[in-house]
Amino acid sequence: MTTVDRKEAKRLMKAEKEAAKHSMARNQISRGTNLLFNILLIIFCILIIFPLWIIIISSITSESALTTYGYRLWPLEFSTNAYTYLFRDGSIILTAYKNTLIATFAGTVLSVITVGLYSYALSRPDFRFKKFFTFFSFFTMLFGGGMVSYYNMTRSVLGLKDTVWALFLPMAFSAYWVIIMRTFYQSTVPEAIIESARIDGSGEWRTLIQIVAPLAIPGFATVGLFSAIGIWNDFRNCLLINDSAQYFNLQYTIYQTMNNLRFLKENASRMGGVNVANLPAETFRMAMAVVTVGPIIMAYPFFQKYFVKGLTVGAVKG
Amino acid sequence: MSVVNPRKPAPRGKHASQGGWKRQAAYLTMVLPGVIFLLMFSYLPMPGIVLAFKNYQMTVPTETSLFKNVFLNSLVMSPWNGLNNFTYLLKDAPMLIRNTVGYNLLFMVVGVVLQVGLAVIINEMRNRKTAKVYHTIAFMPYFISWIVVMYALYAMISFSGFFNQVGATLGHDPIKYYSQKQYWPWIFLLANIWKYTGQGSIIYLATLTGFDEQLYEAGAIDGASKWQQFRYITLPQLMPTIVMLQILAVGRIFNGDFDMFYSLPNGSGTLRQVTTTIDVYVYDMLKKGNLRNSFGYAGAGAFFQSVVGFVLILITNKIVKKHQPEMALF
Repeated sequence: MTTVDRKEAKRLMKAEKEAAKHSMARNQISRGTNLLFNILLIIFCILIIFPLWIIIISSITSESALTTYGYRLWPLEFSTNAYTYLFRDGSIILTAYKNTLIATFAGTVLSVITVGLYSYALSRPDFRFKKFFTFFSFFTMLFGGGMVSYYNMTRSVLGLKDTVWALFLPMAFSAYWVIIMRTFYQSTVPEAIIESARIDGSGEWRTLIQIVAPLAIPGFATVGLFSAIGIWNDFRNCLLINDSAQYFNLQYTIYQTMNNLRFLKENASRMGGVNVANLPAETFRMAMAVVTVGPIIMAYPFFQKYFVKGLTVGAVKG
Repeated sequence: MSVVNPRKPAPRGKHASQGGWKRQAAYLTMVLPGVIFLLMFSYLPMPGIVLAFKNYQMTVPTETSLFKNVFLNSLVMSPWNGLNNFTYLLKDAPMLIRNTVGYNLLFMVVGVVLQVGLAVIINEMRNRKTAKVYHTIAFMPYFISWIVVMYALYAMISFSGFFNQVGATLGHDPIKYYSQKQYWPWIFLLANIWKYTGQGSIIYLATLTGFDEQLYEAGAIDGASKWQQFRYITLPQLMPTIVMLQILAVGRIFNGDFDMFYSLPNGSGTLRQVTTTIDVYVYDMLKKGNLRNSFGYAGAGAFFQSVVGFVLILITNKIVKKHQPEMALF
């Protein structure tokens, strides 16, 4: 009898769910509104892509066409000279690329390890100094010594001036990521697993490395990607700490190149002797911007979901 | 011969639940690398905040100096300067505060409308797949550095830029955007919208999807239109999140987006009045090697930002905690 009742109940529940689904389907915006929203979002997305489009198009336009006709929606004369030039000559951009790649790789590994360890200890209810170390990291989000002190301490006291270290060490650890990672441990690693590992005689380090870490890989990915993007896109640290072009990263290198270009163009007439036509090519500069942003745009669709996760956790507590 | 029993019960006592010292030692070694980083890059610069009250003079360390580092020695040896550094700051203060606070308020107000709007629209779209594509595109600028944006801006607004090309075909004279102040508040606003709308909408979208579906069904049965459902069901439920995020943003109102304000004007001096925020000012001061005590003046700006910012965060957090404890920072 009871089995029949249960079956009946199951059937009823199923029917109810389906009904709910139908009513949900009916409770939608009208086709007209939907069309309007689509149009709005298409316009918005075009506006988002437009600035990048202009850079890409001008980088594959011939220099003479760009000089004569300015920036257009479509290359009037197609040319890949800028890229050939970029990778043949390349000394500035290739050095910057090398520095940025080293910094991004080293910094990402360092971030995942340091943040992964720090937040694991904070996620453990039996860590006696949990409160102190939570505050120790959190306080840095609230108060800082200011840019002047930071400038001097990093350059002179820590001795990072004109080193590749300056491009990633200052960005390797962040209290914000500790919050994300700690929340991740707490919500995805069941306490029972850690408890049973302990009963089996596993030490804290072994538990973390063999049991917890494999479960926390999506969390590590989130922290690692935040770190990688931060280091790749860093401008301020390089501006503050490094003075020698040998140690510049991508962002700072292309910043300087652009700055010089505008200055030279605006003052070309005043400086008399300088011939604008002889200035380094604008298409070349645009190609530099493209190779700087390229890897990010290519990888973006794959890493997007990790950021959504990280930001939802972090937006409230960050 | 004693055999260690792996199932030995945890030692009883005050800290029985916290495990032995061995476990605590393991945890302490785990936090150690992070502590080193925090000490180096966050705590070490903190005492330097006293620069704000110093007449900074470079003093080369001698044999007897406590610190052998030039900066540390100068920091200790430089005479106190009372509030003079702040008096110096005062003449630029109205401009700095207007720019920093003004832009932040503008970004907040416009930002919240667009971010909530985007989240709601994406949530309501009939086709989930296309909605996802839109959101993916909208989120992308968050990952593009301000320096690349500076390039894009140059391609659009420079003398031969896209806008001037369009203007030329319409018969307008080219506009020199890089030397005309009135365009820049708009440029910053648009750049900010471009970069942060998609990212900002994520938290609202996450909140929206968590709302109880039954409320909407009940609304629909009672004949509420989609607009009415938004107005009377979605918005009131979303309001706490919106208000709290704005209050938290007020706590950071003296912090500007340095990379944006510093890079987009492309070094144009004529725009200084509308592009200099506190961060930019501090950096410019810092780099003024020809000015005596430039570190002291820059330090005054940094002090103002750090301390006022700190107090503001404490206040705003207290407000948030009172009304919405789970959203408070601490």
